Amino acid sequence: MDLETWELPSYGVTVIIQPSVMTACIALPTPSKSRSLPRQIYLGLIVLAAVLFAPFAAYSSADNEITVAAAISLKKSFIELAKIYETNYATHVNFNFGASGDLALQIIGGAPVDVFASAAQQDMDLIERKGLLRAGSRSNFASNRIVLIAPQGAKTGLSSFGGLSANTIKLLAIGNPKSVPAGRYAMQVLDYYQLYTVVADKLIYAGNVRQVLDYVARGEVDAGLVYASDVATLNAPIDVLATAPAASHAPVIYPIAIINGTQQQRAAARFVSLVLSTEAKQILAKYGFAARD
Amino acid sequence: MDESIVFSITLSLRVAIVSTLLILVVGIPTAYFLARRDFRGREILDVVLTLPLVLPPTVTGYYLIVIFGRNGLLGHYLYDWIGLSITFTWYAAVLASFVVALPLMIKTARAAIESVDKNLINASYTLGHSEWHTATQVVLPLARRGIVAGTILSFARALGEFGATLMIAGNLPGKTDTMPIAIYNLASDGDWSRVHLMVLLLTLMSGVFLYAANRYSRRLL
Amino acid sequence: MGLQVQLVKKVNGFTLDVEWAIENQSAVLFGFSGAGKTMTLQLLAGLITPDVGRIVLDGACYFDHVKGINLPPQQRAFGYVFQDLALFPHMRVLKNILYGTTDLSKQANLEKARAMIHTFKLDGLESRYPHEISGGQKQRVALARALMRQPHALLLDEPFSALDRPLRHEMRNYLLTIKDLFKIPIILVTHDIDEASSIADTLIIYDHGRIVQTGSPQQLRSQPVNTVVSRLLSVY
Repeated sequence: MDLETWELPSYGVTVIIQPSVMTACIALPTPSKSRSLPRQIYLGLIVLAAVLFAPFAAYSSADNEITVAAAISLKKSFIELAKIYETNYATHVNFNFGASGDLALQIIGGAPVDVFASAAQQDMDLIERKGLLRAGSRSNFASNRIVLIAPQGAKTGLSSFGGLSANTIKLLAIGNPKSVPAGRYAMQVLDYYQLYTVVADKLIYAGNVRQVLDYVARGEVDAGLVYASDVATLNAPIDVLATAPAASHAPVIYPIAIINGTQQQRAAARFVSLVLSTEAKQILAKYGFAARD
Repeated sequence: MDESIVFSITLSLRVAIVSTLLILVVGIPTAYFLARRDFRGREILDVVLTLPLVLPPTVTGYYLIVIFGRNGLLGHYLYDWIGLSITFTWYAAVLASFVVALPLMIKTARAAIESVDKNLINASYTLGHSEWHTATQVVLPLARRGIVAGTILSFARALGEFGATLMIAGNLPGKTDTMPIAIYNLASDGDWSRVHLMVLLLTLMSGVFLYAANRYSRRLL
Repeated sequence: MGLQVQLVKKVNGFTLDVEWAIENQSAVLFGFSGAGKTMTLQLLAGLITPDVGRIVLDGACYFDHVKGINLPPQQRAFGYVFQDLALFPHMRVLKNILYGTTDLSKQANLEKARAMIHTFKLDGLESRYPHEISGGQKQRVALARALMRQPHALLLDEPFSALDRPLRHEMRNYLLTIKDLFKIPIILVTHDIDEASSIADTLIIYDHGRIVQTGSPQQLRSQPVNTVVSRLLSVY
């Protein structure tokens, strides 16, 4: 077809007048139309999301269970205690393990916790000041000690805290006293032995106790100071050389309490009394915790 | 492989997939509006949405508790009205991954949308097409490279999310222990052989996913 | 009917202040770069909003600052061919052309698009992407796309500047055909005086945001109102 003689079928020669053209100077509403392919995609995404949500919803809380927030250092001993508890009372225990400070923040934020076991008094104090503890439910259930550790079979000749001043000891790892409670106690121990000025240049500050253990196990440092409970059942190439005497640092005492507003008063109280029992004392001792003094 | 490891892998994948889907649904329109509309508070909104990228995840997690916890600013309405508390549930893990990974999507998608030739958008308008039609037929298809990249990054970030998740979803073995949290737990037990296994699995999963996504997106572009 | 235009727009120290009207004929906006020609097209299409003025096409008011009328680009029956053509790089030729209509009838749209493809000699290129076709072909796709929605006026922003001479000549013929066939006003911005003279029924000479002279190419050549006009008409 030649260009000059060609005519668009739907055009003709006359200009097709649209409705908007007829009325001069009047703004017309926009005719709305859109193809909805992406909308279908979005719908699909939402449906898929809903499907993925569904099966896990079954996990939401049941009646015969309690939630215990506990310091991560208590993990192994508490899991063992929970086994006894579950057999005795047919109640399931959910644990939430973490740093005591984080756990306290979660409880203040309304986390559904029934029992709180802390590694530090100050975090429990915070909760108590907020009025979140069930009155009279707070007790101490365990204590901890600071121990001196070194890489397994190290040939530095180290055997006691006093030996840290020796020239063979180049690096000593402790938790950062600013943020790690174990680091604060370690500093007190070094002060007690009047070692601080001697070892100041050897100190390596770690972000948490786990890191101290890691440094020592890998031989990155010559020695480290951690809790007795950290090394009690640890399967790592570490030697425990000495335990700091009780007088060398402020007592490390673990408190436990029932959180206000729990729907599981009885079950929570039973868990707390189990933790305070003689049976529990043996289990805790196995994991390096001393009796509450 | 024991049950708890399988559980953590399944949970991690579910959390990452669901949060990535939510990120697509929320992130793309948000990126579009940030890129294409000039409204009051636009840059402030951008900053607020970007903060989780730079804040320590624990701090982000703390904010989430303050906002969505049972006593939280919004959370207490949820709890009072329908008795829902997301703290210590896997929903909370999804929320944490969502909030922490969302800025990765918004940043990359916004940049991609902004780089779409304005003339093409104007051409679509002069051809009679609405903004919605133009967005879905012209702008987003042309920005797909950035959107795909944002999706990949978000998913990978969601898969590895730890700090914020630990705060609001807690560390409830068998309930909210995603792979990173399970690794944390195993390390605190000194169970190094399992730690190594999990670390290897997580690395492998992330690596395989990133590789597949790269392959796929190269074919797509 | 035709197109009546009155526009005032201030941007960053530059002021555009023009008023002109054309019937169903071709007008060429002619002038040095920065004179406000492209801006005029953008104002007409609704991509920029005038400060003051009025735009009426075939009796339909698109903009009137007094009455507070300002139709969005979607509702203005202009076909706009951009300087860089603005073909959608992710759509094949057929899809680009089909994109020119918002009608819902797929069958009718396809027929119309096929007719366009035939008119603009794009047969066989339907499933090519824009980067796979030549400059002249791209040009024709852009024209076809702009005409798909049956515009009441066609705006062309230096659409042939990237083409070499023989191709430009060919495109000029297409424009003349469009003018005959569609009987709509065509407003073209160009720098090329040959192009301007051969296409324009009316030349509108722009200088620093104002119109210095309007008239047929012959009129302007014989009676340039000032040196700007005579320089413009002779320089190229």
